[in-house]
Amino acid sequence: MSGIIKYAFKEHITKIQAKAEKEMLAEFEAGKFTFERPLVKQNVYLINPLSAVVLFRTAEETAVTVTVRGKTKEADIRHTFPKGTTHILPVLGLYANYKNSVEITLYQGQTATATIEVGDVLENVAVHRMETTPEYMQDNLIFLTPANANKAIGVDYAGDIRWHLTIPCAFDLKRLKNGNIIVGSDRLTRLPYYMSGLYEMSLVGKIYKEYRLPGGYHHDQFEMPDGSLLALTGDLNSDTVEDICVLIDRKTGGILKTWDYKNFLEPGLGKSGSWSEEDWFHNNAVWYDAITNSLTFSGRHMDIMPNIDFETGKLNWIIGDPEGWPREWVDKYFFKPAGEGDFDWQYEQHACVVTPNGDVMCFDNGHWRSKVMGKYLNSKENFSRGVRYKINTEDMTIEQVWQFGKERGYEFYSPYICNVEYYNEGHYLVHSGGICYVNGEPSEQLGSLVKDTDNAELKSITAEVYHDKVMMELETLGNYYRAEKLKLYSDGINLDMGEGSVLGSLDETKEFDTDIPAEAYGEFMPESCNASIQEEEDRLVFKSRFEKGQLVMLLLEGEEGTHRYYISTTAVSHLAMCVGTFYDTDERNTSICISKTGLKGAYDVRVIIEDKKYETGVKITC
Amino acid sequence: MTKEVNVQEFNAEYSSGLVLTDFYSKDCGPCKMLAFVLRDVEKLHPGLNILKVDFDECKDLTEKYGVEGYPTLILFKDGAEVARMKGLQQKPAIIRMIEENA
Repeated sequence: MSGIIKYAFKEHITKIQAKAEKEMLAEFEAGKFTFERPLVKQNVYLINPLSAVVLFRTAEETAVTVTVRGKTKEADIRHTFPKGTTHILPVLGLYANYKNSVEITLYQGQTATATIEVGDVLENVAVHRMETTPEYMQDNLIFLTPANANKAIGVDYAGDIRWHLTIPCAFDLKRLKNGNIIVGSDRLTRLPYYMSGLYEMSLVGKIYKEYRLPGGYHHDQFEMPDGSLLALTGDLNSDTVEDICVLIDRKTGGILKTWDYKNFLEPGLGKSGSWSEEDWFHNNAVWYDAITNSLTFSGRHMDIMPNIDFETGKLNWIIGDPEGWPREWVDKYFFKPAGEGDFDWQYEQHACVVTPNGDVMCFDNGHWRSKVMGKYLNSKENFSRGVRYKINTEDMTIEQVWQFGKERGYEFYSPYICNVEYYNEGHYLVHSGGICYVNGEPSEQLGSLVKDTDNAELKSITAEVYHDKVMMELETLGNYYRAEKLKLYSDGINLDMGEGSVLGSLDETKEFDTDIPAEAYGEFMPESCNASIQEEEDRLVFKSRFEKGQLVMLLLEGEEGTHRYYISTTAVSHLAMCVGTFYDTDERNTSICISKTGLKGAYDVRVIIEDKKYETGVKITC
Repeated sequence: MTKEVNVQEFNAEYSSGLVLTDFYSKDCGPCKMLAFVLRDVEKLHPGLNILKVDFDECKDLTEKYGVEGYPTLILFKDGAEVARMKGLQQKPAIIRMIEENA
């Protein structure tokens, strides 16, 4: 137990949700709930307040249609569920600050109406404008995942938020073939944004699985034709970050295959303006092309999209500005622009996509827009765009066949994050999610790093373009990592019962093998540290505030020995902060996550500050 | 042996044999941690000369050797730089650097 230190044990969200689901089902069993008088439970799974579950039984097997009435008829959200006699139906698309009418209609039968009142549940989110038509958007939503303190939302044709997560699930969100969505977890493993893994969940908010990754998850994932998952990761014990991709078994969470980018690229070549020795590649996307059985990655800090063979890992080609690269690389791997039309290379790009005919698209952020420091463009002179290149791997030529955004100049400029989607020929989504102004001028700083005192305005613009005509444009306040157009419901039930599972594993946290000679002080940590410990089943998170330059080490002292974890009190400057959701602008605040992997038994948690060893009063069990 | 040196003392010491130079700052947490790491390194290599150079007070040296941050370790062999490490390091990595250049 704790003294002055705040301590909490937090169960995994799958366990918390399982308890809530059991309570709901127990209430359902105890009552006689009918179609006319169903059990209605709002936000059962605790993380989507714009959802509910309605439960009732019918004497005869029947299909049921649930309709959430929109504020206009065109905004109705409707789904017909498979037939049965026991109906446990997710309700999606509620409005905040509204008495929602939800119609329940039996197949070729009667309709009953339930009212679900939702309060003020939206946190740090605001839609500035949505320009489209209901005929075009229908019941699709634009889903946005966060880059700052905002959280994930889904926006309908009218600009209303009809889906929202209250936990900070970040990075990429995609729909899987089974109708569930896959998104980054909300469990931070290492600052600034390496998450414990991926959540597979229903849009009602129920998490079916967490796929934990030893190296953490960041930026992107991709479902393979056989259902396995590609995920971007790293080696948390290495000196470099964001330079590994793994293939995950969906049943076990185990790692099936690993690609280490140092095996086919040379760190230090082709540096972008944001390059660092640690984050030399900054991988933000992966795409699997079944036709060529290859992987294409996006490396922001090399301004390149390299393609490798899936089986062998052999480098096939690189899309990017070859200036500054050694001759042997340029001759072997780079493309030469061909054709008569406009052509610009992409810089610090995101979200590579391979189209069905083999063209390659990306969001060209354009940050710095040169390989030569003296030619870097500032934000006001720059532009971002969605771009499509046609490549010929026989004669190694490249042509720019489409772009959207250059003509809008700095108004559409995002130096980080963003994505493009391909729907069909001439039909694309282009999301500029990192637009930032400081004192009314386009910012040179990333939106995730601006301080409250910077008089900053952050926004994102998402455009859906059909044969060069903008059919939808959404502008939100705040930066958003990516956008995806999806319907709320997929085919089928959309909600399975039963406790979710936690798959895969976390890696051992690197320890420090040098001791600090410190006197056992016998006192608790100073109150000024504002320390807290959150223990979970597979890790603990220690947060505290120290002064710059203090020498700090966390100790886990147990019968089998002492484990030491150095805590740096040096401010870290970032050139990349794709998701600033967990970023703390107070440099004195530290956070360290320690995996329980490799630890066994009970440990007293103590902290050395300079030459004194303090108590926390906390004992953890592994 | 570990000792704090100024510019003149560094110039007198660094040119002979294997010398490990630790560019540090007094108000730097990682630098303080590295001092304990080097204490352990010294136990394994008692003949190694370890020179501590204050980054803020020895600008001539930091400029001469292009030291941009702290802590920075530079290994000299008979006066020539043979290896460099930036940031806090653990003992095995430093031992490896020394033994590869001995």
